[in-house]
Amino acid sequence: MTAPATPILETERLILRVPELRDETAVTGFLGSDRARWHGGPFDAGRAWRVFAAFAGQWPLRGYGHFAVIHRDSGQTAGLVGFWHPGDWPEAELAWSIFDGFEGRGMAHEAALAVRRWGATQPGLARPVSYIDPENVRSRRLAQRLGATIEPGNAGPHPDEPCLVFRHPAIEVLAA
Amino acid sequence: MTARFEIPSIETERLILRPPAERDLEPWVAFNQSDRTAFVGGRKGRDETWRGLASYLGHWALRGYGMWAVDLKETGEFCGNVGPWNPEGWPEPEVGWTLLASAEGRGIAREAAEASVDYAYRVLGWTTCISLIDPGNARSIALAERLGARHDGDFNHEVYGSMRIYRHPGPSGARGAA
Repeated sequence: MTAPATPILETERLILRVPELRDETAVTGFLGSDRARWHGGPFDAGRAWRVFAAFAGQWPLRGYGHFAVIHRDSGQTAGLVGFWHPGDWPEAELAWSIFDGFEGRGMAHEAALAVRRWGATQPGLARPVSYIDPENVRSRRLAQRLGATIEPGNAGPHPDEPCLVFRHPAIEVLAA
Repeated sequence: MTARFEIPSIETERLILRPPAERDLEPWVAFNQSDRTAFVGGRKGRDETWRGLASYLGHWALRGYGMWAVDLKETGEFCGNVGPWNPEGWPEPEVGWTLLASAEGRGIAREAAEASVDYAYRVLGWTTCISLIDPGNARSIALAERLGARHDGDFNHEVYGSMRIYRHPGPSGARGAA
């Protein structure tokens, strides 16, 4: 089998491509840190690697997934932004994580715009949700900046866990 | 621009070793809710099972090799997953196998594991090959021994606990392809 071709997205400061082994240190470092607390972490080293592998492996399963966010100037892996859609989730979410050292420079916003624009061309990804912990103030701000709004009556994939469901607008609306 | 990766399929006398796929999920969901998970980390729900399937595929993407899904050629019956495997935290790369109950007792794991060890040596260029086995997993130990592997120390995994290392004959061993 040749896995379906995966996209490479380019923005002013970033290159977005499917996660590869060279992202391992950055991604597993992030997943093992307190910064992964919004994503079910922090994970021990073995679990972190399997989560990383699941990020890479969702691409051939679903045809979409997380992009590794590569900072052009430094060549470093600065984060993960993409469509995460595990197991029983009813739909894909547009998710973002920016790694230590790259925060506060608008990279999540820049990457999320590019990923959302790509998603608009893909089946089932036109108006994604973002699942955000109510206490994750930075992510809530970014969702709002992206024009997403809280969807009333939607409790997210795990109703027992506090979660705000932001629904992204149709891209055409934003471009108008 | 695009990027892609490849997962080869290989055939043995009775089996096709093919890329893991979405259709393998349901058999694994049933397996992971049974007692048969005792030697592979315990029961898991559907969500966790899906992540496991995704990580099988991701292992291929990241390492260039990984677990195959094993089907019987004749009927298409899905039997389990077998293949070279090296997640973070392993002492060295292994050939692993996990068979569904329905596939046991027919030499399927043996046939798939032999092909996998051969592939590891011939295609991946491994110079040695182990299998990590729970010390209480008598069936798996018996299979490793039938494959010619010998108990070669133990490994203590921080989550899974103690595992036996079974080392297979080398590339030019008794079962060598030459």
